[in-house]
Amino acid sequence: MKLLARASLVLICLLAACSDEAVSEDLKISVPEVVGAYKSTASVRADRRLFDGAPPVMPHDNFGANCISCHNRQGMSVPGIGFAPPPPHSNTAPPSAMSRCQQCHIAALSEDLFRENSFVGLRQDLRKGERQNSLAPPVIPHQVLLRENCAACHTGPAAREEIRCSHPERLRCAQCHLQQRSASEFMR
Amino acid sequence: MNEQNPAEPQRREFFKQIGAAGVVAFSARDEARLDKLVADGAMDAPQDDLNWQKAPCRFCGTGCGVMVGCKDGKVMAVRGDEASPVNRGLLCVKGYHLPAMLYGEDRLTHPQLRDGDGWKQISWDEALDLIAEKFSSTLEENGPESVAVYGSGQWGVHDGYAALKWVKGGMRSNNLDPNARLCMASAVMGFMTQFQSDEPMGCYEDLEAAEDFVLWGNNMAEMHPVLFSRMLENKRLNPGVRIVDIGTRRTPTSEYADMYMEIKPGSDLALANGVLHLLLKKKQIDRSFINENVVFKRGIEDLDEIGYGCYGENAEKYTFKDKASDSSLEELETFLADYSPEKVAEITGLQAAQIEALATMYGDQGRNTLSLWCMGVNQHTRGTWMNNLITDLHLITGKISRPGNNPFSLTGQPSACGTAREVGTLSNRLPADMVVMNAEHRATAEKIWGLEAGTINPKPGYHAVDMFRALSRGDIKAMWIQVTNPWVSMPNLNRFKRSPGDGRFIVVSDIYPTPTTDVADLILPSAGWVEREGVFGNTERRTQQWQKLAEPPGEAKEDAWQIMEVAKRMGMGNLFPWPEDDWHEAMFEEYRSFGLGIGKDLASYKELRETRGMIWPVVDGRETRYRYAAGFDPYVKKSKGVHFYKAKGYGEKAAFWLRPYHPPAEVPDDDYPFWLCTGRVLEQWHTGSMTRRIKQLHQATPTAYVEINRADATRLGIKSGDRVRLKSRRGELVLPAAVDGRGKPPAGSVFVPFFDESLLINDLTLDAMDCISKEPDYKKCAVQVAKA
Ligand code: SF4
Repeated sequence: MKLLARASLVLICLLAACSDEAVSEDLKISVPEVVGAYKSTASVRADRRLFDGAPPVMPHDNFGANCISCHNRQGMSVPGIGFAPPPPHSNTAPPSAMSRCQQCHIAALSEDLFRENSFVGLRQDLRKGERQNSLAPPVIPHQVLLRENCAACHTGPAAREEIRCSHPERLRCAQCHLQQRSASEFMR
Repeated sequence: MNEQNPAEPQRREFFKQIGAAGVVAFSARDEARLDKLVADGAMDAPQDDLNWQKAPCRFCGTGCGVMVGCKDGKVMAVRGDEASPVNRGLLCVKGYHLPAMLYGEDRLTHPQLRDGDGWKQISWDEALDLIAEKFSSTLEENGPESVAVYGSGQWGVHDGYAALKWVKGGMRSNNLDPNARLCMASAVMGFMTQFQSDEPMGCYEDLEAAEDFVLWGNNMAEMHPVLFSRMLENKRLNPGVRIVDIGTRRTPTSEYADMYMEIKPGSDLALANGVLHLLLKKKQIDRSFINENVVFKRGIEDLDEIGYGCYGENAEKYTFKDKASDSSLEELETFLADYSPEKVAEITGLQAAQIEALATMYGDQGRNTLSLWCMGVNQHTRGTWMNNLITDLHLITGKISRPGNNPFSLTGQPSACGTAREVGTLSNRLPADMVVMNAEHRATAEKIWGLEAGTINPKPGYHAVDMFRALSRGDIKAMWIQVTNPWVSMPNLNRFKRSPGDGRFIVVSDIYPTPTTDVADLILPSAGWVEREGVFGNTERRTQQWQKLAEPPGEAKEDAWQIMEVAKRMGMGNLFPWPEDDWHEAMFEEYRSFGLGIGKDLASYKELRETRGMIWPVVDGRETRYRYAAGFDPYVKKSKGVHFYKAKGYGEKAAFWLRPYHPPAEVPDDDYPFWLCTGRVLEQWHTGSMTRRIKQLHQATPTAYVEINRADATRLGIKSGDRVRLKSRRGELVLPAAVDGRGKPPAGSVFVPFFDESLLINDLTLDAMDCISKEPDYKKCAVQVAKA
């Protein structure tokens, strides 16, 4: 029984895969010109954090201004500099647990190294959002905590096309996308 | 990554796996695009999942839970552990950068012996034999007072316990002290003098339950960031929450304060007495609580008799001992006559109205009040007194041992509580609040350790500062230093300069070379953090265990193992009778037996393995969130209220101590007109030996700097980044200025962080100490400031 189910699933998947080219042409998301204009490349993104999941360093000087004046709910394009994306965290307005941005995001004041370091960190893996089948919504392959505002990374002019959401008008992401967790996370 | 592009086989493997599971992950278009990213080296090929396991953070005393992602014996990532009740998934920037801490390229990987000006690699057997030989011969020739072990609040419980057993039970010496003497000793003595049992009564849930937060000299935003976040989240949900920041300079913490109280250095003693004065005057004290639960005590108050331990008669050996006498509420009233708001305003530099506002907070029975403190109060020439006074405020108002109402001392190091305080790796202590001076306590320890009666030496050993003075004098001839960097962190460093070949033998175990390994005779490579199994105890009495998750580099070994191997070679193997490959649980269970049934019950090793830590006392598998409180603490038999059952010497009541104001040891004058305060910064852990090797953390704070007030800077012609010369009576240093940086000292004072081993501010600091705890005061001395 189980085997049969699995076989038919594979068949469906194969069919889906065969017809994929045609379908995806039709469904191609149309994006306005500016979208992606401020997107950093994957390697620039990787350079800004110790490993995938670590908080990015500030890619600009510490302006001394309140971070959320530019990194606000919509984000802000700053001509000549780039796009200040919205924070992926909820409740960043002070006072709140998330309001001290410098607790995690720091700016480099120097390019020197104190000593060489050979750490090799986890890199981003855009294939991790597995689907049960080609029509199923992908699971969320990363921690949701601190990334509650899905729109920050999955929509907007800085969103990478690999993870850009095709349906930003649907606001309750968690209705279809579930966080993947490991067993050890359920320990007391 | 991917230079050789190993992506292809991995990728096929990945698709094979998901194919077998009947899942199709991507469309052909996606696949092509992602393939290109992998080929460009911009993205990883699909990776095998990392193995994610729990561990506490290696850095501060908050003790955040992290999930550690490992692969092939290496740590590759961490994330905040959402299941941890400490941090609920959030970390600070140090925590997020933990993984790189283990992979600095200059990790120590082999034992090295000094060889002329250089080093020669030797085997573990040679190294261990040599230590055993040196310690044995020193013991024989010069007695137990000539050997010493200087440890750490960053030792795991096993390391500290092994050291304690070896030093006190094996070598019959008490010269064992941790760097925690430099950070927590005043808090220990505070709790011991008042409750006869160490460590706070509350837990982190206080951060949600409190309504008024009083931060005494505590830059929580940088030093306990995740706890600070919890407090701010409380304020978000409950806008009525108020935060008072009492400090000697504006810090990132002050930005979130509802009231910032800038006091003159050392005048916190007067402020606390001023608040007590007002509470009594306005009758805002809880008389029935006092009658039932409090006794009044007074100690020696004569300034000349007490001194500061750094100059005059006690410049070499500081042996002051306090003596308690009985006092009363009536006497307190007379005693406090000196602390009227006007008088206190004069000493502290505050306005009388601010003092009244603070008193109103403590006196308001309708609101929950939490006092928080750390180094500002502990590193203080009257640090124990100041600890006493803060707790006094809670005793006199009855705001103690209730959710949201507690004096809550924050610890600096990840296991200052778990190892230094609970195991008792201090020169006078044994596990579970016991001391070597007490015959019964010694007998208990000897029994558990299976030693002959009379083995343990009843005379306390050297405390940290004295230990290094004794080393300089030559009274200590063999010393072993583990997990700490005293040649950066001791005050008045010039006093401890040493040249190898001076007839002393110094062993240093560490994971990286430091200024301390530079002066060693023998360097041992240690396994760090999750490269070994261990246990830490955090600020809220939570004991946390982790498994070995990664492989140590080269021949690096854990600290406890190093000690046990030396002990065996000295014929003290009987102290460590466990099988070589399986001793962690057995050792912990033996250690745990010290506290069972006396209110210091730790959770079993098994429980610790299976949980995200447990808050002691743990009785029948249940934690105690509020000590001494009916309904929370299983040792309290009353149906309501509190019972300070550990304070046998005070009739099971808490002691309220009358403590006066004393001025600091060195005060600015015409020659040295500025105050110098030193401390830490968010990005760096202590002396920076780990955090500076992490690119992101180092680049954010590449060097030490001196924070200086804008008015002073303008007057002296100094701009941010200019080189400034600081000079004290002990040393001098040139470093860059920071005007209006993250911290803003008031006119007449400067601040310098101590993490930078190439800009050693401790060449300038004073080695004045707290009279009772012997913890040095790094926060107050006098300097000159000039543009260099
Ligand atoms: S707050 Fe302390 S324990 Fe938590 S992540 Fe930061 S350094 Fe580690």
